[in-house]
Amino acid sequence: MINKGVGLCFLGCLVLLTGCNDQRILEETGFIQSASYDELTNNRIVYGISIPIANPEIKATRAFLMTDAMSSKQARTHLSRQTNLQLVSGQLRVALFGLPLAKKGIWRIMDTLIRDPTISEKIKIIIVNGEAAGLLKKNFKEFPRTGQYIDRLIKKEAIRHSTPLTTLYSFSRDYYDDGIDPVVPIIKDTGKTISLDGIALFQDDTYKGKINPEEAVVFAILRGNFKQGEVSLALPKQSQDTTVMLSSLNSSRKVNVKYEDDGNIRINIQIQATATVSEYIGELKLSNDAERREIERVISDQITEQAERILKTLQRFSTDSLGLGTYVRNSMTFAEWQKLNWHDQYPNVNIECRIKLRIKDYGFRR
Amino acid sequence: MNDKLSHFHVTILIYITQTGAVIITLPRLLAEHFGTNGWLSLLFVYMVVSVNLLLITAVYRLGKGKSIFEIMERSISKIILYPFYLAIASLWAMLGCLAAKQYVLIFQMIAFPTTNPMIFKLLIDILAFILIIKNVYKIAKAATVFFWMIVWMILLLFYFYGDFEWSRLTPFVFQDSAITLNSFFSIYLAFLGYEVCLLLFPYVDKRTKLMKAVQISNLMLTFTYVYLSIIAYGFYGYKHLKTLEYPLLNMFAYIQFPFVQGTENLLFGFLLFSIIITIVMYWWGAKEISVQILPLKGRVLAFIILFISFCISYIPKSINDTERWLSILGYAEIGLSFGLPIGLILLLLIQRMRGEAR
Repeated sequence: MINKGVGLCFLGCLVLLTGCNDQRILEETGFIQSASYDELTNNRIVYGISIPIANPEIKATRAFLMTDAMSSKQARTHLSRQTNLQLVSGQLRVALFGLPLAKKGIWRIMDTLIRDPTISEKIKIIIVNGEAAGLLKKNFKEFPRTGQYIDRLIKKEAIRHSTPLTTLYSFSRDYYDDGIDPVVPIIKDTGKTISLDGIALFQDDTYKGKINPEEAVVFAILRGNFKQGEVSLALPKQSQDTTVMLSSLNSSRKVNVKYEDDGNIRINIQIQATATVSEYIGELKLSNDAERREIERVISDQITEQAERILKTLQRFSTDSLGLGTYVRNSMTFAEWQKLNWHDQYPNVNIECRIKLRIKDYGFRR
Repeated sequence: MNDKLSHFHVTILIYITQTGAVIITLPRLLAEHFGTNGWLSLLFVYMVVSVNLLLITAVYRLGKGKSIFEIMERSISKIILYPFYLAIASLWAMLGCLAAKQYVLIFQMIAFPTTNPMIFKLLIDILAFILIIKNVYKIAKAATVFFWMIVWMILLLFYFYGDFEWSRLTPFVFQDSAITLNSFFSIYLAFLGYEVCLLLFPYVDKRTKLMKAVQISNLMLTFTYVYLSIIAYGFYGYKHLKTLEYPLLNMFAYIQFPFVQGTENLLFGFLLFSIIITIVMYWWGAKEISVQILPLKGRVLAFIILFISFCISYIPKSINDTERWLSILGYAEIGLSFGLPIGLILLLLIQRMRGEAR
């Protein structure tokens, strides 16, 4: 019995003592929470990081450090010389990329983010319209720490579908998939606040253009099945000052690929949507079946028009952000798909879109 | 040792022995070697393993449940058999040892990166040693407990349904790949572990329905692999999968709760339960064979085997080295898992013809 006890104690000690080797002391660790990447000449990047500080002797709630280097890991060793803290990336939540860098391609930086096992695949990828380091450096008095502010802003807006939630996972997944291109939220500094500036459209890893924030919800409807959105529309076709606000917007997408006689590809997008009317300023009565159908028709037409505009924009930039390529790919053989250069074909493909909206309910007012 | 293994215990024991560290890389291996919808190759490998199991069934039936040592020693002289035993024992000892080392090295990518890996290796070896010195009946019981501790992890795959898309699987089969014999072998390694049932003959009786149990384990394993791979294909897409060293670890890390980050640390830790049984069964096999050569006490033999293989496991330093060693040994093991039953069947037929089998 004694032997067993001694053995167990020995084993216990062995297990616990191995932990003493690689120590991480909380007070001595600097958790990088947000990082920014900007372009500099000669393939060098400007790398900025924001670290929250929880030291009662220091007044600031966070530290911002910045340097330039060939790579982000090299930059981290530079930054490490400027701080008393041991820098770690395990708590990284937001990676900000300056627009000029995004125009040149951001995949070079993605390598370290993906390779580092401590970095979560769920970190948010965000483009800054301007200089990313400048935005991250700035403190917004009435809001939380800038990194956290951006993190929460995007998370909240993504729930309402005003922006896609692009993570390291979804970006790299769409980057590798040959039937879809990544999209990333784009933000800008508006002085006292940070504001969403639309959706950045990428071709592979290069920024090509953007969708305005007003069109974001319709873009989200086009992009796939959709739950819980809000959209406000003016209906000039009905009468000058008619407006309608749709909430609880749900939609489902169907994509059909057909081939015309001359071999051209024709894509048909059918979207069924339902919504609640939470505001209607106009002359028709929602409780009247015929009049409600009329409103539904006008709204459907209006959204379809917007969707067609977005599709034209996407084709102009040659970015397949809706993943239509996936459907084209799945409609042909592998050899045919290999032969077809989708990015070259895409701007010339005939895309039709039809959105049908049904009003589910219209609140307490008849 | 009058206890006989029950049907359920054998099923779980073999299932857990088959599940090893390969599961972490499996979706990538499939994408790399088989390209689009590579998971279909699992079904083919399943069938090959089933055929292999039928061969083992034939040995069991023809030999009327006699242990394989008894069968061999009846017609072959010990001078020829001992080097053969030694070779198998070394193979199994090294397989167990390197599987442990591989687990430790992968573990160190996410935790304690600079600690000497051999310390962790030693800890696993001690745990394994404690199990090996017990009889197989107790090991099977431990395996059953461990099984319940890890089987719930299959439910975690529900977490990926949100981002899963069938369209990412593509309708193409085995495109964008160069399939060679080597491709099949590398997937086959993920199924190894069932062959230890050759050693279980003396520990079962008719009620155990040994071979049926092993077939069920193999089916369960295939189901687990196919399910995991389909989810991984639809979650990442095959091109992305090709670039991920350990897709399952990435998937573990993707699961996040508001109160805990870095879930891969926790979840990868659970896999140890499965890996330790794999290691234990190989080492136990090595011990069982060594007993035929050196009639020492099981405890002493187990210690000698573990000590020697521990020393050898100092040699491979990197994950790549370890994995290369493992696949070379794995190929030898594939050869053994087919060769040994075929040899035994021939031997039994010869014995029967000579009228020795009675």
